[in-house]
Amino acid sequence: MAGIWIFAENHKHCLELLNPGQKLAQKLGSPLAIFLWQDKELIKDYVSHGAEQIFVLPPLAADQTLEAYVPLIADLARREQPDVFLLGSSLRCKEMAARIAASLNTGLCSDCIAFNLNDSKALEMERLIFGGAAIQKVICVTSPQMATIPAGTFEAGPAQSPGEVRIVELADPLPSVVKLIDKKSNAHQSANLTEARVVVCVGRGLEKESDLGMARELAELLGAEIGCTRPISEELHWLPEDTCIGLSGIKVKPELYIGLGVSGQIQHITGIRDARIIFAINNDENAPIFDVSNYGMVGDVYKVVPQLINELKKTIK
Amino acid sequence: MPNILCCFKWVADEAYIRASAGKELDLEWVDYKISDYDRNAIEEAVRLQEQYGGNVSAITVGKPDDTKGLKDALSRGPEKAYFINDSSFQNLEPSQTAAILAEVIKSQIDYDLIICGEGSSDLYAQQVGPRLAEILSIPCVSFIQKLDIEQNQLIVERKVDDGVEVLSLPMPALVTVLPDINSPRIPGLKDTLSASRKPVVDIGRDDLSGNFESCLQTMAINKANMERNGIKLGSEPQDISQLVDALVKQGVIGGVK
Ligand SMILES: Cc1cc2nc3c(=O)[nH]c(=O)nc-3n(C[C@H](O)[C@H](O)[C@H](O)COP(=O)(O)OP(=O)(O)OC[C@H]3O[C@@H](n4cnc5c(N)ncnc54)[C@H](O)[C@@H]3O)c2cc1C
Repeated sequence: MAGIWIFAENHKHCLELLNPGQKLAQKLGSPLAIFLWQDKELIKDYVSHGAEQIFVLPPLAADQTLEAYVPLIADLARREQPDVFLLGSSLRCKEMAARIAASLNTGLCSDCIAFNLNDSKALEMERLIFGGAAIQKVICVTSPQMATIPAGTFEAGPAQSPGEVRIVELADPLPSVVKLIDKKSNAHQSANLTEARVVVCVGRGLEKESDLGMARELAELLGAEIGCTRPISEELHWLPEDTCIGLSGIKVKPELYIGLGVSGQIQHITGIRDARIIFAINNDENAPIFDVSNYGMVGDVYKVVPQLINELKKTIK
Repeated sequence: MPNILCCFKWVADEAYIRASAGKELDLEWVDYKISDYDRNAIEEAVRLQEQYGGNVSAITVGKPDDTKGLKDALSRGPEKAYFINDSSFQNLEPSQTAAILAEVIKSQIDYDLIICGEGSSDLYAQQVGPRLAEILSIPCVSFIQKLDIEQNQLIVERKVDDGVEVLSLPMPALVTVLPDINSPRIPGLKDTLSASRKPVVDIGRDDLSGNFESCLQTMAINKANMERNGIKLGSEPQDISQLVDALVKQGVIGGVK
């Protein structure tokens, strides 16, 4: 038996992964399968994006989370022996992938950013290490070959005329002893930030939360979205967590990135390497961000930003 | 009173990698450190002990000369360390590290709770914690930002992409922690001195029976080039207008859109 399997938490990510999945399925002569647990209406969409098999997971009890499917999925993999298993790299899927891989005793390439099939039909997968300072290329010598893939790494392919599909309904999982008590959703979505043309990024160089006003004024003037470094969102909680840019946050690719009091540690820089112009203001002339900037201004954000705003007002009018 | 085990990794400090020139990754001159978020794992174990009693041990897999990391870890509060070491235990991939830890934990450690960092600062594969839980057949929750113990149950807040979940799980269990769960204390001189008197259980390759073969093979490691030949400016009024002119010329502000 064989298969290229896809599992991701949301619909868009599923479609993104089906695209490279379909190419692999063709090259390896292996059927493309995807997991589904909510809306059966989505089957049509998956089939028109190349899925040949749908594994339908049964509904979960209210106190259960997706991870409860882990033993079920691992068992299915033991029976069906897929060649490749690609998962989204949302936080939840990262945990699920690692546990499934452990259960199957196979290798997993975390946060794979690119792959290709080599001559012996093994996946050569690339990922960042040392905070993004280096790229590691790995192959998985056990089966299935597994990877988690960040959202936005691939684009969804166009819808095609649907082919045959095999729908497999899976049995109920045993309830997990991990029980959901409560859930708070983020209203915020970082979609604007990943698409933004200009990004103003706030770092710890800002002393207090109210100083965000200065960054907001600058952003508004430039039609920019506001992002931040990890300490701002995770430690200080001044901005929502999904505006954190970098290795453990999101990647941005604006025409212009402006860093205000951002030191430029590698884990942050990894998230802005695709920015066309990087401009940083930092009062430490040795701050690492200057090495990766197109324009670096050595100065105090509290002095520079108000002047910059004035100057921009003159120019933009 | 829980027996808590915290896992840590002694890693090359990535800040040194950036500085070296050339395409090759040169690890010869780098400094080493306890992986950033493993400090949060240790701190959380020690914090729980202060609150609920019990005891805290630290465990690591590494090379025989990684003893500096042991002292560092012990200076942060655990009363005992397990040092699984062999000259072949370097550049391990997550499945190997998890398998090695699991064998030692199964055979000789009594635990109620295992705490890992969410990911190591070198590989950041974020796998060892959940893999270890799976091999030990214990429940696990990753990426937690808050942890309490209530009547032998863990109550955790864990981050997911679209929000935060509050979950309960019985012990023994494993969690991986996010950096915002606590602020690791900075060891003082006294802590460093007392660290060298704490017991270390030395476990060598001969004490282990698994074969720990790797599932992932590294084909290449290349430095990512991110340097830009930028212009450095001061912060005088003329610098600011020079900058604005440049940004306009680049077409990234004003005029366009
Ligand atoms: C595994 C791992 C993953 C991580 N993932 C991420 C990630 O995704 N995103 C992320 O951002 N970080 C991440 N980090 C953290 C990262 O290493 C840095 O700690 C973080 O990016 C630093 O944020 P910062 O630049 O805001 O703060 P700091 O490093 O504290 O820098 C503040 C800067 O502000 C400057 N400054 C101070 N006052 C002024 C002033 N008045 N005017 C001008 N400049 C001033 C200082 O000179 C300094 O350079 C990660 C770390 C690890 C280990």
